Amino acid sequence: MNVIFTAVTIASFIALAIFAPDRLLPSLLGGAENAARTAFTLFCIYAVWMGLSRLAEESGLSRGIARGLTPVTRKIFATGGGAEDEAIAMNISCNLLGLGGAATPFAVKAIGELEKKNNAFAQKLLFVINATSIQILPTTVIALRASAGSVSPSDIFLPSLICTAVSTLTAVLLFVAGNKIWR
Amino acid sequence: MALIIPFIFIFVFAFAAIRRVNVYKSFTAGIKDGFDFTLSLLPCLAAIFMMCEIFEVSGLADMFTRLLAPVFGFLGIPEQLTKLVLIKPFSGSGSLAYLNEIIKGYGADSYVARCACVCFGSSETVFYISAVYFAGVKVKKLALPIFCVLTATFISTVVACLICRVM
Repeated sequence: MNVIFTAVTIASFIALAIFAPDRLLPSLLGGAENAARTAFTLFCIYAVWMGLSRLAEESGLSRGIARGLTPVTRKIFATGGGAEDEAIAMNISCNLLGLGGAATPFAVKAIGELEKKNNAFAQKLLFVINATSIQILPTTVIALRASAGSVSPSDIFLPSLICTAVSTLTAVLLFVAGNKIWR
Repeated sequence: MALIIPFIFIFVFAFAAIRRVNVYKSFTAGIKDGFDFTLSLLPCLAAIFMMCEIFEVSGLADMFTRLLAPVFGFLGIPEQLTKLVLIKPFSGSGSLAYLNEIIKGYGADSYVARCACVCFGSSETVFYISAVYFAGVKVKKLALPIFCVLTATFISTVVACLICRVM
């Protein structure tokens, strides 16, 4: 992240200095403002979903859901079957249901729990799975197409499902292979 | 499909009430977690959004688009999609705006727009997610996972453009 950030910002600064020096400061400020606005939106999303997930946790509901998935997650992520498995199971369930807003808090919680167990492999694998999108129903896109007057807005469902499967599988295989080579 | 969300909320709230959880208290505690979490994200978000903004405004994004369009065309990706594919890993809102433009410009049922939709729906904002996920932990060497994700996303883009020709 550091390398990419440094390279992209310095290159952009130089290009801005040459082509439009007076736009450098406004665009930085604009970016920060954008971040503040996004953080505000994110807080609204997390307020709803983390409130709900806390209820699911304290009532023992997420432990129940996780119990079914724990044997699978233990094998894939090489975990010990504790709080981290519960969070991973909830993250994957939410992703499959298309509840992206609910999935992120669980992922962050899982990453935090895995940190205590020093399980960097599982942390990265969870990131790889989430960053390749494992959504079953692309709701945003379907809504967009419908509002733009598409004849059958949901006919991209099957292609999307195939592509999302291709990308997640490729990424996981690449990561597992790469992890074995560079260790 | 529309009933899934109401069902989840009713079920979780009712289940918690039956299990004698203090619903108000624990819902509020969850929101507090959300608040702390959002605050911890803000520095990373600000830095990344500034980077995206100057990358776009400086014209570098357009330059890359022009440079890569022929390569993308060779792999079967329509050149109108180049910018979307390049921006998506960095910015969800930016690429969503661009997707909207493509849908409006070419028509929702055109080949280009359908391709764009499939690519958009089956990929994620990789750099943003990596910032959010790893904000509070010490994990290093993220180059490999990020590289894997970007490669896989690119492969699925090529596949998407192929599939949309037949489906």
